[in-house]
Amino acid sequence: MSAVLDYPPANLAATLDARLGDPADRTGSFSRAHCAELDRSEEFPHAICRHLDALELPSYYIPSSLGGRLNDYEDLLYIWRTLARRDLTVAVVHAKTYLGAVSVWLAGDRDQARRLGSEIMAGRRVSWALTEPDHGSDLFASKVMASPDGSGYRISGKKWLITNASQGSYLCVLTRTDGTDNEHGHSLFLVDRSSLPADSYRLLPKVRTHGIRGADVSGIAFESAPVGRDALVGPPGSGAETVLRGFQLTRTMCTALSLGAGDQALQLATRFATERLKRDRSLIERPHVRDTLARTAALLLTAEATAIVASRCVHALTGEMSVVSAVVKALIPSLVEEMLAELAELLGTQSFLAESYAEGAFQKVQRDHRVVTIFDGSAVVNRNAVINQFPRLTRGYTEGIVDSAGLSQASHVTTPPPPLDTEKLQVLSTDGCSVVQSLPTVVEQVTQAVSRGLAPRDLARAARAVLTATKAVHERMRETRPAVRPMAADYEVAADYELCFAAAACLHLWVANAADHPAAPQPAAELWDDALWLQVVLRELLSRLGHADEGSAWRIASGSPATEPADSLERFVDLLATTGGAVTLFPGRTTGTRAPLLWKETTHAR
Amino acid sequence: MRADSGPLIRQPWETLRMPEPVAPGPGVTELDRALGDPWDKDNPAGFVEFLAADERAEMSAAGEAILDRYGFNAEFVPVALGGRFARMDRLIEVLRTVWRRDPCLGLGHGLSSFIAAVSAWTAGDSSQRSAVANLLLANRRVAPVYHEFGHDNDLSSVNFSATSNGAGWLLNGRKDLVTDVRRADAMVIFARTRPGLGSRNHGQFFVPKPTAAQGRVRYLPRSPSSGMRGVRLDGAEFTNYRIPGESLIGEPGQGVETALRSFQITRSALPGASVGILDTGLRTALSYVRERRRYGGAATDLPYVRAVIGRAFTDLLVVDAFSSVAARALHLLPGETGVLASAVKYLAPRVLMDAMAELSTVLGAHSHLREGRYAIFEKLARDLAPAEFGHASRDACRATILPQLPRLARRAWFNGTALPELFWVGGDLAPLRFSGLVTGAPGSDSLCAALVDISEHYAGASPLGRLADRFRDELVLLRAQCVELAPKDLSLDASPAAHAVVERYTLVLAAACCLGIWWHGSGHGVPFACDETWVTAALDRLNRRLGGKVTTREETRGLEESMFRSAVRRHDDGRLFDLTGREVPG
Repeated sequence: MSAVLDYPPANLAATLDARLGDPADRTGSFSRAHCAELDRSEEFPHAICRHLDALELPSYYIPSSLGGRLNDYEDLLYIWRTLARRDLTVAVVHAKTYLGAVSVWLAGDRDQARRLGSEIMAGRRVSWALTEPDHGSDLFASKVMASPDGSGYRISGKKWLITNASQGSYLCVLTRTDGTDNEHGHSLFLVDRSSLPADSYRLLPKVRTHGIRGADVSGIAFESAPVGRDALVGPPGSGAETVLRGFQLTRTMCTALSLGAGDQALQLATRFATERLKRDRSLIERPHVRDTLARTAALLLTAEATAIVASRCVHALTGEMSVVSAVVKALIPSLVEEMLAELAELLGTQSFLAESYAEGAFQKVQRDHRVVTIFDGSAVVNRNAVINQFPRLTRGYTEGIVDSAGLSQASHVTTPPPPLDTEKLQVLSTDGCSVVQSLPTVVEQVTQAVSRGLAPRDLARAARAVLTATKAVHERMRETRPAVRPMAADYEVAADYELCFAAAACLHLWVANAADHPAAPQPAAELWDDALWLQVVLRELLSRLGHADEGSAWRIASGSPATEPADSLERFVDLLATTGGAVTLFPGRTTGTRAPLLWKETTHAR
Repeated sequence: MRADSGPLIRQPWETLRMPEPVAPGPGVTELDRALGDPWDKDNPAGFVEFLAADERAEMSAAGEAILDRYGFNAEFVPVALGGRFARMDRLIEVLRTVWRRDPCLGLGHGLSSFIAAVSAWTAGDSSQRSAVANLLLANRRVAPVYHEFGHDNDLSSVNFSATSNGAGWLLNGRKDLVTDVRRADAMVIFARTRPGLGSRNHGQFFVPKPTAAQGRVRYLPRSPSSGMRGVRLDGAEFTNYRIPGESLIGEPGQGVETALRSFQITRSALPGASVGILDTGLRTALSYVRERRRYGGAATDLPYVRAVIGRAFTDLLVVDAFSSVAARALHLLPGETGVLASAVKYLAPRVLMDAMAELSTVLGAHSHLREGRYAIFEKLARDLAPAEFGHASRDACRATILPQLPRLARRAWFNGTALPELFWVGGDLAPLRFSGLVTGAPGSDSLCAALVDISEHYAGASPLGRLADRFRDELVLLRAQCVELAPKDLSLDASPAAHAVVERYTLVLAAACCLGIWWHGSGHGVPFACDETWVTAALDRLNRRLGGKVTTREETRGLEESMFRSAVRRHDDGRLFDLTGREVPG
């Protein structure tokens, strides 16, 4: 018997969560009741954000080299997940400062970065002004113009649908600095709104949205706003490249928002299924309800494992992030959307009422999560980015190109990842994607583990099926021609590639860490017993990848009773019931490593 | 040159019109005219108004006034009782006309009264029928009082009780979600008349607006909702509320049966009405992409956009085909609609929701905004959700369908005869007979019979031939699985695999409807009959849900492209995207 694996980012999250108070306590500032109220009145969560600032949370938005605490992107993943589990509006508006600042961390000069760091520590919010009224996701069609003027520039034009445009003190603005249409025609400026003449800009009104109703989603219209040369982030003309490199970090981290939403929804639904009676028996005793919970929880574990590996890839496989970030930003929000839809069916009317069950939290999280599928690049945009890298990905897969050292660092969660060298973030990955390209090796490792009796036989079969499906997906990728405007079917191939990535990430994570998880009495350790979590995850992924192997399995949900590993599923659902739907691969402890020191002692009431 | 221009060859079905429905009084054209162009900013009953009402979580007063002037409620009253209801297809068309503008208006100021009234039409005596008819014809409301938290659509489990005290009944208990009960002039209350879970212990009661003299009724606070926000859902608690003996609708113990019979009508109508939501959703997405440039070209040049539009158009037609045939079956084959109405209610809302979700990827951030030119999309997507769990959840529908499948599989699927009139969408129909609605095991399954028949006559290497074979093969597979279903699988403890059988069965039925319209409709003025592109695209879409590859990538792309072009033409011509293709304002 041994303790659960000690995973510092989860410890950090557990400590943060404890500091934030019980969400069910209606008097707390970060309570579910207060968040529901703010949503109804569409108010910005000022008090909660101040509370988070007082806990020095913004220090995690600043690289440690600049005096902040960001030296491991897993920490950021877990912090945002913790916020999002309580309330997506808060998570989005608070996290936005990191998104606004990332360009400066990547391309700004040291003075600019230091200054911004201290402003962020002082509680200033930074927003990222990319989109414009008529271009939506087509960022580089932007019309906002910065024209040279004396020693500086004058910015004119309208940025719209910008989170925190009005609440933020700083805006990192993407502008055109060149009349031509080429990729070097854009530059980024860090604009301090307080330094602008009052008549040189206009804040645009808050836009009413479907979800995250309390957020400040607004815009700004610049009218010949003067900025100094020192406002430039990186050299003139580097804006597009900086944004694309920044996306590789932000898109990877935004998956935390989906994880938190998934956590919340699964817990609400598990509680509902446990409490609700149908004909004198609780719903959770009914086979189809158990099946729904098992499949949605498997999706959440898939998302979790994939996001952990991806956030470690930031450090360990930095040069491959153009693939990794696009894959996870397309995949994880989509998986969580599916979860939410399935769980909504389980909750029925209670998924729809705004005040009735748990303060209407389910309908809120379902509405709020929609924004995660849209902002910072939708699935369509990200799949487009992956499709354009198909030639390198197929070559890398055929040739078995793998950065073994990086891959090992990305998979072993017990050792801290190497420091991030942002210089290695490149617009296109040269070597493809090691996580997927190493699949034959990791499948072999699983097979060996099975032959040594460390995992059930079914697992080797499942791993081999993943390999077969992945080969078939790469065949289809090879038949796809890269194009500015890909065919609709290509997006489906990209979606299947995402599933291959997730399966590979899960296999790597299990192989690298299973040995550190001997049987233990804690629920999380039960997830590792007999590779339980990997079994349910692969079952779910394979049911989706079935159609990749053309002409084989009919793709109806859970339609093949013959292959159902009934025992493991039953155990899995029992585990869900005992944990109230709070399943996670690496549960944190407030007493664990790295935890207690970091959060300032603060008390905060509403 | 416009991005979507291409050879504009009009298909024969594009110029066909639905025959005028046989019913007195004004019809859907007058209703459309009265409501006007919803996109027109100055229209007092346009999207501007409906969005504003939604923000206030209120019904649109302007919309209600227009519906009252038109006599919307008369659409729910049988012709014999002075109203206009005789045919399901007309009812659906009228509902869709409202649903494509504001589903809150359609549900809160119409359909919910109909849900109450159908019990009276089906099982009420002549004085109850005329009392309900008179209320509706006077533009009054009748509230359906069914829903109790904790039981959702499981009628047999309700707690609300009616106890006989010799001369009359005493009502006691609490109902949690009742549409606009405060404004209603009467209620139809579903109550338990005897203890026990059986299906013969309940009844519906027709109860005029409560008066203080009879006992206590306490209204409970409103339950706000995330969609259909304008529709007021209140609770009501009855304490020793006395009603006369003749309030009971039908015979004692018939309540569940009456609901199961009469709700076949409303369960078929709701998905058909909800097609209106996808119609506006598709129109909104088309307007959006046709006004935009992306990545150096028109947004309509993007193959992804073209495919999504083409698919959504196809999905809309699939749902319309399924609900139109089910609607005709209520007239022609009422013995089968116990299963068929549940099948439509099970599958159709899901198809519509998925299509809206896919369209939202085209609208991007605009699918998330409650303001601006495309805001109606966001509202309609929210309003669609209750079509799936409301009135009868997928669970309730599944529980109705599943127990019938083993017998149907064994006896009916491969031994039946097709009834061609079922597929003559828009063709003649005798008025619907409420007395013909039945519960219990159907002995035939004409849709499966039609599928088997058509696939035998139309074998071939064409995509449609292969798809028809695919669905027939699925039916063969389903038969093998259905006859093996264990008794437990027909109960509330059914396995997930048994649940999947229901899903696949409903997909086969939907495919049969599309095929039937194409095969049997020619020569009967049926829109879309003879058009092989549409029916192939429809089966291809349904097969995506079933799984397995039948068409090649190029064939699918060609179908999606053709459907995109047809959708653009309809958009240009200001016509509905449904089977009728009717010209509409806006």
